[in-house]
Amino acid sequence: MADLATNQSRVLRNADEAVREFLAFKLSGEYYAVALTRIREILSLPSLTPVPRAPADVIGVCSVRGLLVTVVDLRRRLHLEEPAPTRQTRILLAATEDDETIGLYVDEVRQVVRLAESEIEVAQSALGGELSDYVVGIGRPRDIRFTSGSSPGGDNILILLDLSTIVNR
Amino acid sequence: MTARRILVVEDSVSMRSFVRNALEAGTAEVGEVEVTEASSGFDALRLLPRGPYDLVITDINMPDVNGLELVQFIRKSERHKATPVLLISTQNSDRDRERGLALGANDYLAKPFTPENLCSAASRQLGGGASPAEPNG
Amino acid sequence: MAEGGDKAREEFLSEAQEIIESLSRSLLALDASLKAGTSDPSLINEAFRAVHTLKGLAGLFGAAKMGTLSHRLEDVLDGLRLGRMDLTPETLDILFNAVDVYGRILQVERDSLDDPLMIVDDLVGRLENFGAEDKEEMSPVVEYDLDPGMLAVLTEYEEHRLRTNIEQGLGLYRLRVQFELATIDKALDDIKERAKTHGEIITYLPTGETTSADTIELDLLMASRDDLATLIGSLGADNVVIEAIPRRGRPSRAPSQPLTTAPEARQISSMDAPSPSALDLADSSDVAAEPAGSLRSVAQTVRVDINKLDHLMNIVGELAIVRGSFSRLTERLRGEGQRQLAAELQRLHRNFDRRLAEMQDGILEVRMVPLGQVFDRLARVVRQISREVSKEIRLVITGAETEIDKLIVEELSDPLMHMIRNAIDHGIEGAEGRQAVGKPEAGTIALNAFQKGNHVMIEIEDDGAGIDDEALIAKAVSQGLVEAGEVPDLSRDEILAFVFLPGVSTRDEAGDYSGRGVGMDVVKTNISKLGGVIDVQSETGIGTKMTITLPITLAIVSALIIRVSRQLFAIPLNSVTEAIAFDESSVKIVDGREVMTIRGTTLPLCRLRKLFQFPQGQPDDKRRFVVVTSLGSRRLGLVVDHLLGQQDIVIKSLGKSLASVRGFAGATELGDQRVCLVLDPAALIEEVLVGVDTREDFARSNG
Repeated sequence: MADLATNQSRVLRNADEAVREFLAFKLSGEYYAVALTRIREILSLPSLTPVPRAPADVIGVCSVRGLLVTVVDLRRRLHLEEPAPTRQTRILLAATEDDETIGLYVDEVRQVVRLAESEIEVAQSALGGELSDYVVGIGRPRDIRFTSGSSPGGDNILILLDLSTIVNR
Repeated sequence: MTARRILVVEDSVSMRSFVRNALEAGTAEVGEVEVTEASSGFDALRLLPRGPYDLVITDINMPDVNGLELVQFIRKSERHKATPVLLISTQNSDRDRERGLALGANDYLAKPFTPENLCSAASRQLGGGASPAEPNG
Repeated sequence: MAEGGDKAREEFLSEAQEIIESLSRSLLALDASLKAGTSDPSLINEAFRAVHTLKGLAGLFGAAKMGTLSHRLEDVLDGLRLGRMDLTPETLDILFNAVDVYGRILQVERDSLDDPLMIVDDLVGRLENFGAEDKEEMSPVVEYDLDPGMLAVLTEYEEHRLRTNIEQGLGLYRLRVQFELATIDKALDDIKERAKTHGEIITYLPTGETTSADTIELDLLMASRDDLATLIGSLGADNVVIEAIPRRGRPSRAPSQPLTTAPEARQISSMDAPSPSALDLADSSDVAAEPAGSLRSVAQTVRVDINKLDHLMNIVGELAIVRGSFSRLTERLRGEGQRQLAAELQRLHRNFDRRLAEMQDGILEVRMVPLGQVFDRLARVVRQISREVSKEIRLVITGAETEIDKLIVEELSDPLMHMIRNAIDHGIEGAEGRQAVGKPEAGTIALNAFQKGNHVMIEIEDDGAGIDDEALIAKAVSQGLVEAGEVPDLSRDEILAFVFLPGVSTRDEAGDYSGRGVGMDVVKTNISKLGGVIDVQSETGIGTKMTITLPITLAIVSALIIRVSRQLFAIPLNSVTEAIAFDESSVKIVDGREVMTIRGTTLPLCRLRKLFQFPQGQPDDKRRFVVVTSLGSRRLGLVVDHLLGQQDIVIKSLGKSLASVRGFAGATELGDQRVCLVLDPAALIEEVLVGVDTREDFARSNG
């Protein structure tokens, strides 16, 4: 819970920017999003080299034009189901606070979503368990429909993840 | 085959939509595409790092960073220099179009053009090349 | 377009509406400026762009009348903006009329009205009379020393603006700016707004140089009546560097300027508005001439960012990968009977090889610096400490000319300093103590460096009291690092190795210099980060010798490519002594450890399949191999499934997120773009042989 408190203040501190951009993606059938500013690039799935004895959620390393990138499976980190890779599978390259570039494995990248503060619900204890450490809030975009979503017109919910807690553990 | 990633740079929103619709409807010719829209030269500079793209389609006449500057930027960039660029120009702007081609743009399309013109020009540039978005180290 | 059609059309109509509104606003502003007797070229350009866009859209969406009108209007506005004709009130009237006609066109389009729109033809007819009288444009652009790369990307309109500004006697400036991509819009609006009062920004050219992925560098070409100092005062910032673009071929006036104005002219960074005379003097040619002249006298050496060398080395590494394709291609040609081509290609290949090797050596050489750099610093430290602890110390240095990678040298300074302090503080006895055992009053510390194969050895040897085994054992036992019962079984080397365990090498009464807290364990960690190992030898009463073994360079290494289970790994060749066939039946267990005997010596073994938790069981090919690795005096046999050959690799370090994973020096790319992990023999030897401080970690990572 202490983590949540700091996450919350982080969101509020950014309130002077009226609208924030997030990149929405799919993990195990649900929509998630992270702040766009942290994403450097989106790659289709490269060949990954597993690293023996690495933490379980590190699924391997790959080379992006000579830069060595550690790829983390967000689904594993969040304890979600792990659908097999498809041609929609992507690797998001994200910058950590240490300026390391890290790859995040996602099932599908949707789009950039602009959310006003009023569309962001700061996470309280809504989501229990492990997930809450990584969640900064819930986005409820008013004017975006995820057309290929499983529930058309249904709950347009984006779970907003905090990249820093994810990559810095 | 993975969808080809195309960056469309154009300051007019309906022109962008036209291009997007044409490309997305032209699957038979162009193949599956993933279109990213940039509303200005700057927007393009911002979106390029999220590439690489398999094709950049850009207007020449744009405020601030114009299409020629974008072509030069792409050709100078280690990462994007191999990306084909298709210029959109107007009929009477020969000079700008020639410059664009001299700077390394691969082809041009004069306005007005039909969706068919666009798709065949795009598919010529996309060729039968390797799968997209592969790090081309 | 079938489905998107209606929506697209709607979008078109609403955008057209917006554009027509903005056209109207531009015209109103033009009218105002015309009445005020001023002109704002950007307004005409905005109007031009509006009809230009309308023309393009009309063509795409089949709005023929809008297209015809826009086409004619575009001609007129193009003539105006390129200065081929002048803006008159009559022209403005017609343009305002056009806004109304556009409005009607939109209405007809939107509501599908049945109106032949004769008003369009009428207006177009009137526009026909506006012929642009071709004004000859001169090219004063050549007077300026503009980067041709910049000239090449100007659109016709931008080039026209450039000429016009030059003709009007404005100076040209280049603003090199770095903006965060995330906030670029705001940053640009900001600089545009401030630039407005000084002149006109003609274009924005991305330079393609990037300092980071989140920033972009742009060159802004600006024309201004103000001088450099004023512009710097008004627009300059950390991320905005302003330079005057010099005029060509005009003799510099600097030498004949009156002395009184000179100092003011030099205050380029001053925020104050310059005096009129300074304004005159700060002519672009003078400003640029000065640094150019002084630059010529720079010395024969340059400082190079080590990252740039790394980058070059990476390129060489990639070329080495390309090289591999040569042989494959040659083989293929030969196989297809193209003997002559194959021979030609092979000749090229050899040539390429030779040049590549030269380049590799060249870059490596640039990276190499003599160890003397760090030794000199150590000599000063010795002098200082010995004075303060009142011990007379003689420092004897040999091999200061031994060269090693600059990165290694930088990282060596701290560990060496620490070891020297240890030697003075704990090793060398006080003057009385030394006299009592018949040693010369002055203690000696020898610092020796020499190259040995692919390694550089550094020895730090003192003639002090030596390491006290009993104290060391007591410390290790009290720290729980070893059971008292095990002690009798330990060899002297094993006992001395306790020095490198955390919490052992720190003294109870902290010495002033080596202090408490930072012990030899830290030194050891730092050395292993550099791919090196450290050993200790000590004789009671005679002295202590620490030996550091380091790779010469961190960059390109030759490696043995091996396979374990289905994954390839690379082992740096500089730590491989040999590779032999593995014979399962020759394995014996000694002290719970698998060993085999080769040529009469015992070799501890490490089965990589087991260590890496790969599926067990017999590998597909029966023949397996043992790669014998050694560092310093220790050896370890790595049991692998297959040997694939030797290759030059560039080792890249794994990210911080994998820093806790043991056994890898990094990774490299083999020819097929796959990443291959590079084993770290030093770490493996450490993990498998020493075990004491690692068993626990190992258990954890297994669990």
